[in-house]
Amino acid sequence: MQDSDLLFGALSRRDALRYAVLATGSGLTADLLRSTAAFAVTPGTLVVAAPGTPQSLDNEYDGSLGTIDAIGQLYDSLVAYRKIPDPKHPDVMREDIVDNPSLPGDADLEGRLAESWDVAPDGLSLRMHLRKGVLSNWGNELTADDVKWTWDRKFALNAIGGFQVGLMALATPDSVKVEDRYTVTFHPSQPNPIMLKIQTHRYANIFDSVKCKQMATADDPWARKFLENDSAGFGPYRLAAITRGQQAVFKARADYYLGKPAIDTVIYKEVPTSSARVALLQGGAVDIAQALQPLEIKQLEKAPGVKVETVAASSMMWIILNAKIAPFDKPEVRQAMNYAFPRAQVIASIFQNIASPLNGCMPNIYPGFNGTFDHYGYDLEKAKALLLKAGLPDGFKMQISYNAGDPVQEPIAILFQTSLRKIGVELTLHKVPAGTYFNEVSARKQPMLFFVDAPWTADPVFALRLYFYSKSFVDYSNYANPEVDKLIEAGAQMTDLGKRTELMQKIQEIVMADAPWVFVASPNYTMARRDTVRGFTYYTSNSINFADFSAQA
Amino acid sequence: MSGPSGTIVSAGGLSLPPRAGRRSRWRSRGSLFLLVLHGRPSFALGYVIVTAVMTCAILAPWIAPYDPVTANPDVYLSPPGFSHWLGTDNTGMDILSRILFAPRTDLTIAVLGTALSAMVGIPLGAIVGYYEGRSLARRTFSVLVMRAADVLQAFPVFVFAIALVAVFGQSIISVVVAIAFVNIPIYLRLMRSQVLSIRGMRYVDAAFVAGSSDFAILRRHILPNAIAAALAQLSVNIGWSVLLTAGLSFVGAGVVAPTPEWGSMIATGYQNVTTGQWWPSVFPGVALGLTVFGFALIGNSIEVMADPAQLRLVGRAGKGG
Repeated sequence: MQDSDLLFGALSRRDALRYAVLATGSGLTADLLRSTAAFAVTPGTLVVAAPGTPQSLDNEYDGSLGTIDAIGQLYDSLVAYRKIPDPKHPDVMREDIVDNPSLPGDADLEGRLAESWDVAPDGLSLRMHLRKGVLSNWGNELTADDVKWTWDRKFALNAIGGFQVGLMALATPDSVKVEDRYTVTFHPSQPNPIMLKIQTHRYANIFDSVKCKQMATADDPWARKFLENDSAGFGPYRLAAITRGQQAVFKARADYYLGKPAIDTVIYKEVPTSSARVALLQGGAVDIAQALQPLEIKQLEKAPGVKVETVAASSMMWIILNAKIAPFDKPEVRQAMNYAFPRAQVIASIFQNIASPLNGCMPNIYPGFNGTFDHYGYDLEKAKALLLKAGLPDGFKMQISYNAGDPVQEPIAILFQTSLRKIGVELTLHKVPAGTYFNEVSARKQPMLFFVDAPWTADPVFALRLYFYSKSFVDYSNYANPEVDKLIEAGAQMTDLGKRTELMQKIQEIVMADAPWVFVASPNYTMARRDTVRGFTYYTSNSINFADFSAQA
Repeated sequence: MSGPSGTIVSAGGLSLPPRAGRRSRWRSRGSLFLLVLHGRPSFALGYVIVTAVMTCAILAPWIAPYDPVTANPDVYLSPPGFSHWLGTDNTGMDILSRILFAPRTDLTIAVLGTALSAMVGIPLGAIVGYYEGRSLARRTFSVLVMRAADVLQAFPVFVFAIALVAVFGQSIISVVVAIAFVNIPIYLRLMRSQVLSIRGMRYVDAAFVAGSSDFAILRRHILPNAIAAALAQLSVNIGWSVLLTAGLSFVGAGVVAPTPEWGSMIATGYQNVTTGQWWPSVFPGVALGLTVFGFALIGNSIEVMADPAQLRLVGRAGKGG
């Protein structure tokens, strides 16, 4: 055998193998894309590319994007905000969250599972009259018992629902009373001006208690196992299939009480990397791509066949300054950190202007927000003077923790590091894996951490109590100001909207001066979709409702 | 190389008496080196690349146009141009300056990690090889060490390194330890096999009969004759360790941001490739590839110098044969 034959033989075998693997791989990928693309152009089918599938379908224990999205389709709440066009994007609808004192609960709401409601003027009771003939995905009719069982479950499991119980100021399960088959009343232990607004919360959804009781066992009286993988609700969709890590399929319900949604089938696909979601959207393989990076959004704005809408949202990004760890126990140091933060540059470069400066301690789209208390322009001289006043003329060394799963946090930290170096503060960066990041935040032991959150209920009492009330478990800054606590407690019981707003303004003024956070940005909510998909509606939960969408063939 | 009777034998077949002067030994090695470069000119490229990279590492503070860790958001993601020859990254840091500074981190980690693994693996491998098959206790010791190495090597190297960094925390020292750990079995096995073949030589028996202790036999007679293969492995391992360092940084388990390091630069920049900004990741990628290539070439050249058969081939090629 000649050398050339040997070489040819060896190469051809190796190459044959290599090409076979490549061909199989590319064939599979092409098949996947083709099958997904086929769904994406099928009328009545919507394909959503999301960072992850729902981990759990039980909202008591999971707050990830997949779960939040799923809950909105499978369940319904008692009331919802009325929708109005977005002032900047008339094609986009959003909730009318402006306070209106002429309306019960000061809120412009429309009935969902409840058709009417009575709010006691003293704020000590909320009566909900339920819609009749509403069926669950298991065919059971909605009754007051379902509402009662839902809140009993929150009391019993005391996880995310426990937080809602606290906000409603419900002392015991008996505080929720069934009046008759279609009437239920909430009796808070103190005047509660926001109890109606809390019913709009994405996680204030109502369960089909008949089905849940059927699925409950002696070991699992609240049907946790069942609700983790299936649903029993009154929402517009039912779960057809779920393969975690791959996709969840939702089917529209023909017997939905508001009529069958326009989109019959929704395929909610897990596509972990944002660049892959962008590529799939550009190629037409998916209809909606969620959670994209600012530069990708800018790129998609120019892409043919793709429509991008970005609207002001309830999301806030801030840097927690732990008030129990020196030197952040001194307000002057916290203020100095804010003066040294290059906020405008961060918004322009990292966020590509798809965000607004966080110029307050609650979402700037919420009623009662006041942005005039924000005095933190970029001023290194002022920052130095404040450090001097705090007894730190030479600066200090500090560590900032950031979430490895959020690609914007590291570059922001680097910009902040460069800026702080100019006033003698040496910042070292500590990357925390996304899976354990929340543990770091909730442990409250790190001096500085990035955090992104949104209070879903559009109310200042809700938002401010969440982050700045010293007894709140979400007060991750360990911020404690007795005056603020007192004002929050008073505001939480103040039924007079004018006086309540006054109190909330005072709280914002104090908190902004105390600066328990470095106020970073309010990132916009962006909907990137094929231009054939219509009906984007923005919700303060920063999630989507499939029933809002329709698709042109 | 050394012959059975302690005669130093050059790979080209040139024999020198054991007590030949240091100068003549160096001269012999120098001519060997030139012979190899003459026969395989591509090896010279490896030395040029590695020398250039080391020069950059040493002179970086003087030749880099910008501070490598100072962000400038006014020029974020600037394409290559006059002010920033290789462009800037998403925080406005100059990519050229960071590439010039990066070998300080990458080479330090790679060299320290490799040296540490060689320092542990070489003597341990020599001891294991020397005692293998002797008394029960010594045999047990050898078996235990080799099975431990098996366990160590059974883990995928990268996953094992990530686990180590996760345990020790994210720092340069952790990466050095991780690299050392995953490299130890390589030197251990290499030395063991060398020592196994040498320990039966007559000059070893002679030393034993003359009353030399085990330690003396290992140190004076076995180690010097067995170490050449391990030394040839060093260069290849340094290149591989640079790659592993970059890989660890790429997945976020390497150095702390914004330390200039090729892997972390690629990781930071790859997100921008899909949006059209290719320069933050491509340039560090090229630098990394060249460096690894350079070390691989040097490793090959050392391997050739240590192997008489290959050296003869090179010698013939050099003479046009």
